[in-house]
Amino acid sequence: MPPSEHGFSKFLRISEILYLFLVALSFYLLFLSRAGEARTVWETLHPFFFPTLFATASLLVIILLTSEKVAYKLLLVIILSFLLHSLFSIVFPAGDLSGQQIVLGQIRRVFDNKVLHGLSGWPTATVQVFIFEMFRGTNLQAALSVIFSRMFSIDIFYVHLFFIPVLWGTFIPVASFLTAKAMGVDEKASVLASLLVSAFPYTTYFGAISVPNSLGFIFFFYSLYFMLKHLSTGDSRTTYWILIFSSFSFLSHYLTGIMSFSLLFLTLAFKAYEGEKESALINARIFLVVSFVVCVSLLPLSFIYMRFFSSTSNAVFTLDKFYELPFKEIIGLFFLGELVHGFDPKTILLVIVGPALAFLWMIYQLYRLRRNPNDKFRIHIYFLFTAFLIILVDYRILKLFMSELPLNEERLWVFSDFIAAPFVALAIFSVFSSLKTFLEAKSSLTITVASLKTLSKGDFLHVLGLLLAINVLIPVLLGGWITFSLSAAYPKMAPLQTTWYELEAVKYIEENTHEKYVVICDMWTIFAGEMIVGIVNPSAYYFREYSKIGHDLFVNMSRDPSPQWMLWSMNYTNTKVAYFVISEPRLGTEEFSSILFKAKENDLQVYGRPEGFGNGKLYVFSYRKE
Amino acid sequence: MGDSFQVHKLEKFIIDDSRFLFTLTSYVSILITFINLNTLKSSILGVVAFVLYFLINGIFLSHAFFEKEDAFFRLMFGVLLLIMLLGFVGWLIMIIYNLDVPELSLVLFIVTSFSSLICKRVKNKNAA
Repeated sequence: MPPSEHGFSKFLRISEILYLFLVALSFYLLFLSRAGEARTVWETLHPFFFPTLFATASLLVIILLTSEKVAYKLLLVIILSFLLHSLFSIVFPAGDLSGQQIVLGQIRRVFDNKVLHGLSGWPTATVQVFIFEMFRGTNLQAALSVIFSRMFSIDIFYVHLFFIPVLWGTFIPVASFLTAKAMGVDEKASVLASLLVSAFPYTTYFGAISVPNSLGFIFFFYSLYFMLKHLSTGDSRTTYWILIFSSFSFLSHYLTGIMSFSLLFLTLAFKAYEGEKESALINARIFLVVSFVVCVSLLPLSFIYMRFFSSTSNAVFTLDKFYELPFKEIIGLFFLGELVHGFDPKTILLVIVGPALAFLWMIYQLYRLRRNPNDKFRIHIYFLFTAFLIILVDYRILKLFMSELPLNEERLWVFSDFIAAPFVALAIFSVFSSLKTFLEAKSSLTITVASLKTLSKGDFLHVLGLLLAINVLIPVLLGGWITFSLSAAYPKMAPLQTTWYELEAVKYIEENTHEKYVVICDMWTIFAGEMIVGIVNPSAYYFREYSKIGHDLFVNMSRDPSPQWMLWSMNYTNTKVAYFVISEPRLGTEEFSSILFKAKENDLQVYGRPEGFGNGKLYVFSYRKE
Repeated sequence: MGDSFQVHKLEKFIIDDSRFLFTLTSYVSILITFINLNTLKSSILGVVAFVLYFLINGIFLSHAFFEKEDAFFRLMFGVLLLIMLLGFVGWLIMIIYNLDVPELSLVLFIVTSFSSLICKRVKNKNAA
């Protein structure tokens, strides 16, 4: 090994060790930020976490731009990716207060063997409902989480919290790398794509919550990779892989499944176009346009036809928004979607900068391809651009022309982010390469630092500026982008997350009650309870979060904390013991004190800890049926 | 370089699976998981059995389906495929009945048997 290479290798190892140290420090700071009572991760995040993360990400960019082995680079990216997606799971005691807690409540029923034949059980009302329920993504996620949980021999609670952050952190960077590589992108730019996929806020958010949709996104990304591979090779085996990954994507979540199959159809259309364009160009082009229209319409129509399978789906096409909303808002929704509603300019910029940059680079690539019709990867660029357009159009259709959708349209951003990441990496790497080429053109002047002295002042500043841009500015900019995109990914406003004492109280009730019981409480305690005992558990009954009966019972108990409501709830749920839970941060000090006073006056017994849970912030009262 | 060589050697050793040694090891890891869940309930033992199971079956599947990929991507695809296979078989058995300890052992058994057989089949095909 020549001395210069030996020195470089030593520098690389030192950089990698420093990087690993910084990652470990970031994890440590994240653990220090762990809070039993917080609304957002930003409230308790250690002040040194952000600077450390920034240094870590910048150093990683420097390493990625070296000639280190791809596998090592990807391993380093995977570690950072896991860190970026685990803020909810590490900082909050029960992860984000969102759908992921409800999903855990459902999976808990399978883990505790409370249900047979999947989450919905047999029999169902109709065959369609049976099919719909069996193929719902929660079933696949439940199966996987329960398998992991049993294999590790740990509670499903912890497996669920880290389920998606681990899978996403591991497999999404690899998928991003492979997708970029399949587009014919340089290896270094592909590795950059694997990192930059974490700079997209919506993508980071979905990688941080354990919901079936996130699982579906992972399989979607791999199906996209195999689609590109199929366009290159035309190998029938890749078609099987596309089908397998699309099916798993569908099994995880219908949104990702429909998008996968939609793009699968587009892939086949592009392949057919390639075969036919020599003999019948116009026919081939018409076929391609028709395919585009079909692919665009698949997702909106699937929402309409979903009503045949599920009674809860009522999506319709409508022009109501055009009649009801002011023109300015329609324009805002068209360009920015939900971001027009109260998001600060920094967040908007962080969300749109990636896709916008990718879109511009795609246009530039298409312009370049016009002069180079024999480019090997021409069809890949056209395919990805069309796929990107399909997602853009679908998003606008769902946002402006449809209502009562069963999900938030913003989820479509994740699909476009996946396509955008390789293009953004390609754009940045092109800038990097151009600067490097320019510098190398002046290599005779820049071989040694000593020779810099021989340059004129103008040349010296020029070369120094380029060196700074390559070695400092690009890593700092990208490191900063990744770090700051976290501020848009993790919400800045949220209700109080599940607290440690709510979890402690529901665990205490579960561990110390040996008869069937019902808990009357607010919806926040219901979330905590469902995570520990499962949703609609007849032995440990919590009313559903949005149950009117549950809500009315809690309101009545709050007004008149007496045994009559507890008796009523026991009779209603066929249980032997009733608990009433109140918590100060949820109710406010005044109401909390008033209920506490009235409950004690009505001789309701304080359960568990006489001084209350969480240093008196939460009280549990009990009443037993005679 | 040395590390990479060691990894290749280990991979080759597992794929060779002479006298079904690694298939049997995988079955033993299922047995360990089963006993652990019924008696000891030790997370450390669970993690050891899990790593063993994933390493062996991940490599089996990676060899069977992604032989031409680089070592790192081969392993990644193998592990992802193993997760998918576990999810699919687990999903099926959960729909048919449930996913308690005996059913989990059945899932692991089916997946190991499939991985081992498909790996052997590809190996024989390549040798022919």
